[in-house]
Amino acid sequence: MIHLLLQAPSESTGQNALMTSAPVTPADFWLPEGASTFAPQVDFAFQFVAWISYFFFVLVVGLMIFFAIKYRQKGREAYARGPSHHTMLELGWTIIPTILCVFMFWFGFRGFIDLRTPPQNSYQIDLTAQKWAFNFRYPTGAASADQNLYIPVGRPVKLVMRSEDVLHAAFIPAFRVKHDIVPGRYSTLWFQSDHVTEGWNDSDPLKQKFHHFFCAEYCGKGHSGMYAKIFVLPQADFDLWLEKQGRWMDDLKGDELWQVAGPKLFGRCASCHSLNGSAGTGPSWEGLWARASGGAGSDGKLDNGRETYSSLIGPGKKFENPESYVRNSILNPGDHIVVPYGNVMPTFRGQLNDLAIDAIIGMMKNLDKFDAKGKYIGGAPIAAK
Amino acid sequence: MTTSSPTANAQSTDNYLTFTRGIKSWMFTLDHKRIGVMYLVSVLASFFVGGLFALIVRTKLLTPGEVSWIDADQYNQAFTLHGAIMVFLVIIPSIPGALGNFVLPIMLGAKDVAFPRLNLFSYYLWVTGAFLSVYALLAGGFDTGWTFYTPYSTTTETAGVIPVVMGVFVLGFSSIFTGLNFVVTIHKLRPPGMTWFRMPLLLWALYATALIQVLATPVLGITLLLLIIERAFGIGIFDPDMGGDPVLFQHFFWFYSHPAVYIMILPGMGIISEIIAVHSHRQIFGYKYVAFSSIAIAIFSFLVWGHHMFTSGQSELMNVVFSFITFSVAIPSAIKVFNWLATLYKGAIVLNTAMLYGLAFMFLFTIGGLTGLPLGTLNVDIHLHDTYFVVAHFHYVMMGSALIAMVGGIHHWWPKMFGVMFSEFWGRIGCTLVFVGFNVTFFTQFMLGSQGMPRRYYMYQPEFQTYHVISTMGAYVMALGFFVTAAYLLHSLFFGKKAPANPWGGRSLEWQCTSPPPHDNFSTTPSVGNPYDFSDVRWNEAEQGYEIDPNAVPSKDTH
Amino acid sequence: MSAAHTSTDPTTAHAEHDHSHDPHGEHAKYPFLAHHFDSPAQQFDSGKFGMWLFLATEVLFFGGLFVAYAVLRMLHPEVFAYASHYLDTILGGINTLVLIASSFTMAMAVRFAQTNKRIPLIICLLLTLAGAMGFMVIKYFEYTHKIHENLIMGPGFYRPVDAQEATIAMTDPGEPAPVLKLDSSLGAPAVTPAAASQNIIGIPLPAMDRTAVVSPLAGPSGVVDLAGTPPAERSQYAEEALREVPTADTPHLLDPKLPVNTHQFFAIYYCMTGLHGIHVIVGIGVISWLVWGAFKGRYNSNYYTPVDLVGLYWHVVDLVWIFLFPLFYLIH
Repeated sequence: MIHLLLQAPSESTGQNALMTSAPVTPADFWLPEGASTFAPQVDFAFQFVAWISYFFFVLVVGLMIFFAIKYRQKGREAYARGPSHHTMLELGWTIIPTILCVFMFWFGFRGFIDLRTPPQNSYQIDLTAQKWAFNFRYPTGAASADQNLYIPVGRPVKLVMRSEDVLHAAFIPAFRVKHDIVPGRYSTLWFQSDHVTEGWNDSDPLKQKFHHFFCAEYCGKGHSGMYAKIFVLPQADFDLWLEKQGRWMDDLKGDELWQVAGPKLFGRCASCHSLNGSAGTGPSWEGLWARASGGAGSDGKLDNGRETYSSLIGPGKKFENPESYVRNSILNPGDHIVVPYGNVMPTFRGQLNDLAIDAIIGMMKNLDKFDAKGKYIGGAPIAAK
Repeated sequence: MTTSSPTANAQSTDNYLTFTRGIKSWMFTLDHKRIGVMYLVSVLASFFVGGLFALIVRTKLLTPGEVSWIDADQYNQAFTLHGAIMVFLVIIPSIPGALGNFVLPIMLGAKDVAFPRLNLFSYYLWVTGAFLSVYALLAGGFDTGWTFYTPYSTTTETAGVIPVVMGVFVLGFSSIFTGLNFVVTIHKLRPPGMTWFRMPLLLWALYATALIQVLATPVLGITLLLLIIERAFGIGIFDPDMGGDPVLFQHFFWFYSHPAVYIMILPGMGIISEIIAVHSHRQIFGYKYVAFSSIAIAIFSFLVWGHHMFTSGQSELMNVVFSFITFSVAIPSAIKVFNWLATLYKGAIVLNTAMLYGLAFMFLFTIGGLTGLPLGTLNVDIHLHDTYFVVAHFHYVMMGSALIAMVGGIHHWWPKMFGVMFSEFWGRIGCTLVFVGFNVTFFTQFMLGSQGMPRRYYMYQPEFQTYHVISTMGAYVMALGFFVTAAYLLHSLFFGKKAPANPWGGRSLEWQCTSPPPHDNFSTTPSVGNPYDFSDVRWNEAEQGYEIDPNAVPSKDTH
Repeated sequence: MSAAHTSTDPTTAHAEHDHSHDPHGEHAKYPFLAHHFDSPAQQFDSGKFGMWLFLATEVLFFGGLFVAYAVLRMLHPEVFAYASHYLDTILGGINTLVLIASSFTMAMAVRFAQTNKRIPLIICLLLTLAGAMGFMVIKYFEYTHKIHENLIMGPGFYRPVDAQEATIAMTDPGEPAPVLKLDSSLGAPAVTPAAASQNIIGIPLPAMDRTAVVSPLAGPSGVVDLAGTPPAERSQYAEEALREVPTADTPHLLDPKLPVNTHQFFAIYYCMTGLHGIHVIVGIGVISWLVWGAFKGRYNSNYYTPVDLVGLYWHVVDLVWIFLFPLFYLIH
């Protein structure tokens, strides 16, 4: 196993990368499958410590039970003679654990240095974390439309991470990596996976294999929902996928824009806004368009009661039409707060471009064609992805 | 055999419980024993409240998705309350405040602690901290996690954050003053003949704990003050928007909170030294090693706080240094375990309830301590940090070790404190339920964590559900065990057999006064010697207890 | 007598009799001797040791703030160099001398208590008290002057003072965030560029630019020069602020050389000197109690423990100031 200990960080192996579908380290009792080049090192260190632990546990508990049975009190024996000290024994059970600890430290240290040293030619992906979603942006400027992480196989990938608000963390159990995402600074994390996740482009989600990407630093209400899937793609497929991300909304025409893009984008709104009137951190979209258009509920109060929808929205008023109002709510959410909600919505300026906003507006206008989860259910069939 | 006749059970001779009567005599008492009893009642009540929140959390986790009876915000408050109550209201004050206060002066041979009024003040500070926490709950609650990490804690809308942080601040001073009292007592109130190396190991442990309390807790105090000021005035020390550093909070916080975990465990280890030696009727093995290892742990505990922050963004060099030193703090704990094990060798072991808790401690602390090793190993910790593995580890050491030791200590000194014996039969049942329930609850969480389940999660991936269900079942068994324990202990207060002065055959000074002790601890001069030399102890059939043979020749110190 | 003896100790040949009462008449002789101590010496030693331990906790308590100071100064050295000019070195220097003098009078008080000189004891305690109060008076002037100049901690540092009209947009989530409505009460929200966030008091704050905190009056170039910047280039807040006309009372906001994050200096300044001030006030209370006790003749050569221990406390309070003074006032 020595070669694993002295393994240098993997460099890009391009076409020579292993493309098998077997995981690097199979899942076992303790650890999930290991799909990154770090997994063998981390798992070895874990097993090393584990077996030392098993040994000492059996030794201590075994002797304890043995002594407790063998040396039971006879009658009301009040004084048992036994050794009171033994210097060699003390030295022994101090020195041996110390040596073992040095080994444990060493394996951990070597592996750690690898974890923190991304190779020069790493493929960089920017990650922005906010309450409560991850957003991945690729070197071409494109963002991952479905907010999942797609990476090319067999290449080192470096995540450069920033947070919009509070502490978050990026945790990928299958890759054995984790790092906090600290607001006010950039944090980096790198890994390389040599194994394609099967079925990544299968239209049936049940057939897709993926790795978990969790938030691992408590960040509030939606902490456990802050999640992404990781798909590892062959390089050529990855290039194609990436190209589509940049333009994924460009190809959608007419109503397709809100039918296809709306649900995808809604994913990042769903943690606060419901579609069916149920209470959330922010106002439900149900009936929103009617309210904003002067229909039912347009006397709903905003700004602590100083304004209503109809006082803000309309010809000659601050917002000419409901579209402008919704657009402003997305870009400057603090401007007008619906009573009784709080001013907690982050801005999506920079994340949602005009097409995206159009898609959302379209979805709001046609909410009856979506189910409560945002899936498009009504009307004409939509174009395939 | 118990009798239920009141006269047989009443405290017919004057003791600290009957010395004066009435609520004011308790509220304004300066007697360390009464203060200890008040702490005991308060801490155990808080334990049940904190446990209730734990059951809420575990019950929710039976299913992976949303449930109708608790939403994510309420769940977050539940685990925060569980952690904050258990850490600050229960575990940190428990052994020093309840058992330490009661036993330390008697064990030492003193009439009281050095500053009895400060002792009472410490208790009232605890009460104030508890009230502030209740107020915080009513004022809107708090959902920050017991660690109060910024910037979430400085920006979350739950309005109870500042009150509870003030409560913890006050509790910190309760802890500081208790520690200060104990240090001075052990240094200055040792009677002639009670040298350092004639002190029972519980006193060494309490001394080491007190040192940490005095030196580490003020740093928590200032951290909490800065948190309050940041939250109230937005000064910007932890807020990156204002040029501050959120990780700075973590450094401040863990500089206290790591030594704090040794405040929790060291007294427990002291109790185990007592229990194992007494119930094996045997000189403890390696007295000096155990004594010095307590001091070593206290010193090293200040040097390793960064191992809570391996993924926080602190420099790689710091990570390496902290990992290295962290292994050093494992060694003294291992030394203790081996010494206790060797004490069992050639002992005359009685498996009564207190001893069962002692053995349970050894089992659970071995697991807890060993699972600290992967957490100190850098690359493994990267995988395990902020997962259920950490949750399982700290429950094994904080609950499975420190709390179990406290419960064992309660049983060991119960006859001394209240003058009654409890039912051994029910004691063993309670201990078994707690032990089995605990292992089922928390061992599964090791696997949950290493398989990738993050902590503080309201919802989780469905593949983890089986482990969660098993864990929750264990929690209910454990809860049952604690209720059984509370029941028979309470029962013994009213119906328990009268306790002899020395039910277990101990040799330290507290066994040489009556059960319960008189108001000023000793009515006749006790004889001081090696507290683990049982050679002059013998069973007294008439008293149904042990006694020290007054004609025996006192032995030399053999450690 | 202590409650326990070793049975092999020959010095306690009288070990057999009851020790639970007062065998040598110590408690009868010394009414101040507490029941659980055996001798005045033991009581005094314990008290002194306890006080030293308490002072160790104080050192660690302040130590945390010193660490915070060190971290902030390391991160923003230019802020500390710049902002210390706003502190009045003369007043600080006077405060330092006052405290040193009061430490001296306190030490004299202890001496007089030890030597049974009641009147000089009272005088010295009163002088110490005067010094402490004098310190607080000077502190009061320093603080009020700064508050008037808006050199405060928190985001209010960036708010120009002397706004004539308008009320604060407090706890009013409906209020549009960028509107600059202020009054001169403390703790008003800062107004800074970029998107909205909210601080915990419920005041809608525009969230800050991630890379730096600049005066909201700064134009796009980051420079604050209200009059000189063409209107088109002024930030929206500058317009508002100009209507309010910041006066010379807020020189820091008009100073183009104001480093970003200057508010950090004042944050740590108020925290440290404030905490120190609280300890001085507590000292005033405790020394007053000593004056009362001295007046009643409680302290003499047998029992001067409270004077001694308060003296220790007072010296540490003085010592903390000796560190604070150069760290804040003398960075040039």
